[in-house]
Amino acid sequence: MNNPILECNGIAAGYVKGLNILQGVDLVVSEGEIVSIIGPNGAGKSTLLKAIMGLINISAGRFFIEGLEKTNLPTHKIVNEGVGYVPQVQNVFPSLTIEENLEMGSWSLGKNAKQSINELYQEFPLLEERRKEKAGNLSGGQRQILALARALVTSPKLLLLDEPSAGLSPLAIDDVFKTIKNINLKGVSILLVEQNAKRALKFSNRGYVLDQGRNAYQGTGTDLLDDPRVVDLYLGKL
Amino acid sequence: MIDQLGNGLLLGIIISVASVALSLLYSVTRIVNFAHGEIIALGAIMTLFFSNPVDSRVIYLDRFSPLGLDFVISAFLAVILCGVFGGLLELILFRPLRKAEVGNIAILVVTIGLSIFIRHLYLIFATGRVQNFPLELERRVTYLFFDMTPRNFRVLIAGIIVMVLIGLLLTFTRIGKAMRAVRDSGELASISGINSDNIILITWISSSMLAGLAGIFQGVINDIRYNMGFLILLLVFAGTVLGGIGTSFGAMVGGLLIGIFVQVSVAFPFMEGHIEAKNAVALGLMIVILLFRPQGIFGQKERIS
Ligand SMILES: Nc1ncnc2c1ncn2[C@@H]1O[C@H](COP(=O)(O)OP(=O)(O)OP(=O)(O)O)[C@@H](O)[C@H]1O
Ligand SMILES: [Mg+2]
Repeated sequence: MNNPILECNGIAAGYVKGLNILQGVDLVVSEGEIVSIIGPNGAGKSTLLKAIMGLINISAGRFFIEGLEKTNLPTHKIVNEGVGYVPQVQNVFPSLTIEENLEMGSWSLGKNAKQSINELYQEFPLLEERRKEKAGNLSGGQRQILALARALVTSPKLLLLDEPSAGLSPLAIDDVFKTIKNINLKGVSILLVEQNAKRALKFSNRGYVLDQGRNAYQGTGTDLLDDPRVVDLYLGKL
Repeated sequence: MIDQLGNGLLLGIIISVASVALSLLYSVTRIVNFAHGEIIALGAIMTLFFSNPVDSRVIYLDRFSPLGLDFVISAFLAVILCGVFGGLLELILFRPLRKAEVGNIAILVVTIGLSIFIRHLYLIFATGRVQNFPLELERRVTYLFFDMTPRNFRVLIAGIIVMVLIGLLLTFTRIGKAMRAVRDSGELASISGINSDNIILITWISSSMLAGLAGIFQGVINDIRYNMGFLILLLVFAGTVLGGIGTSFGAMVGGLLIGIFVQVSVAFPFMEGHIEAKNAVALGLMIVILLFRPQGIFGQKERIS
């Protein structure tokens, strides 16, 4: 197997002091992999991504990016370590234009931002067409694409995606998954949180099932799909 | 009524600059800053302190004897000092409160306390006396439809230039865009690699510099008092709300309109002998406009998605 790009060991974290939502999560994403996290509502999937991004405090455990410990680094520094993150909600700046959204995404690049944005436009012609429009006026699917593009403009090594397909039409979902696959083919490792568990597992190299702040099961995508316990618990109703 | 238009524009430009400052701070930090008035007063009081002739002993306690610097240099220094003061407020007070996740209402109460505290410091150190800058008296001249002194006319022009500059900075510079980004979502800004704390610090500094400038304008056009900022603060809030909370352009226009409403209402026949009630007409008009446009003149309805 390839080198691990992200390695979490026993991460515990929460929103309020003394009340941990995550109670020891272990997880590895290796270079070039797509790894998905599934689990019921409230399991702590989004919370795990927020903890890695330094948005909430990690009270126990640690995590490493390419072997170096980055636990509880301020958010803007995690970004500079080559981690892109698309949150579940509020993932574009609605009052900024599409171009300004991408400029903010490329904040850490300084002078090279223009060039990266132009390169990104070649991949997402729709965004270039509407670059002067406010992001708040985009449709849900277009907004998700912009959110992905905003996270991609710094060319991250690892992309954390929180339910990128939530609330989209089947056609738009196909589009988003296709885009994610393309990103991955360019060598970006992906940690994906998904409600659409079957689809996510089929799409990923490996998966983790998170339940009540702990890993319950893990395995390759197909293994988990075939595992009767996982099906019973989390897939049966879908 | 036309006579009052010039006065209205002058009051309007003071309110307008102060409203832009208030609105900028609110939109980036969500702080409703009642101590804004004291930063306005600080601009005027510091300018007075730097510019008053050395032999004048009336204003400050003896050990704070004035410096007698050139007026423009004094104003410049005062604006910088206001920026430093605003920056310190953020570093010492508001950043720790934010990190401790103190709620918005509690922070609002803190700014009210701060306002009262600072205002009384001024009362002690700058006395309760009404002061004027050491500037020569000038005769009024007619410009188009309105008369004002050449100095006040220059203040008006300076105010307009400052606001155009602010507009350009917010629209086109990296920092300006980042301020708007933090306004939309501080969390998303951090996720984009922006250090939101730095942007908030820069916002405090710029907002306080603008407030100080508004105070200097107020000192030139009217006079300087320890509570001058407090007296105008209600009109500044009115300007901000009228234009649409959180939009800088709205605050500019809203501030100007409030100033004009206040002064022009003096000329209404029913106001004869009731000039001290002139704010009532302006604030009444504000309420009527908000009834028809709740989001303010330039404010946008929040889009729920
Ligand atoms: N900002 C917050 N403050 C306090 N508690 C929160 C906050 N956000 C989430 N929680 C709590 O943390 C727990 C885990 O939430 P989280 O958002 O991580 O779940 P999730 O697995 O992403 O669920 P979903 O599939 O619904 O997105 C929930 O019990 C939730 O109530
Ligand atoms: Mg979630």
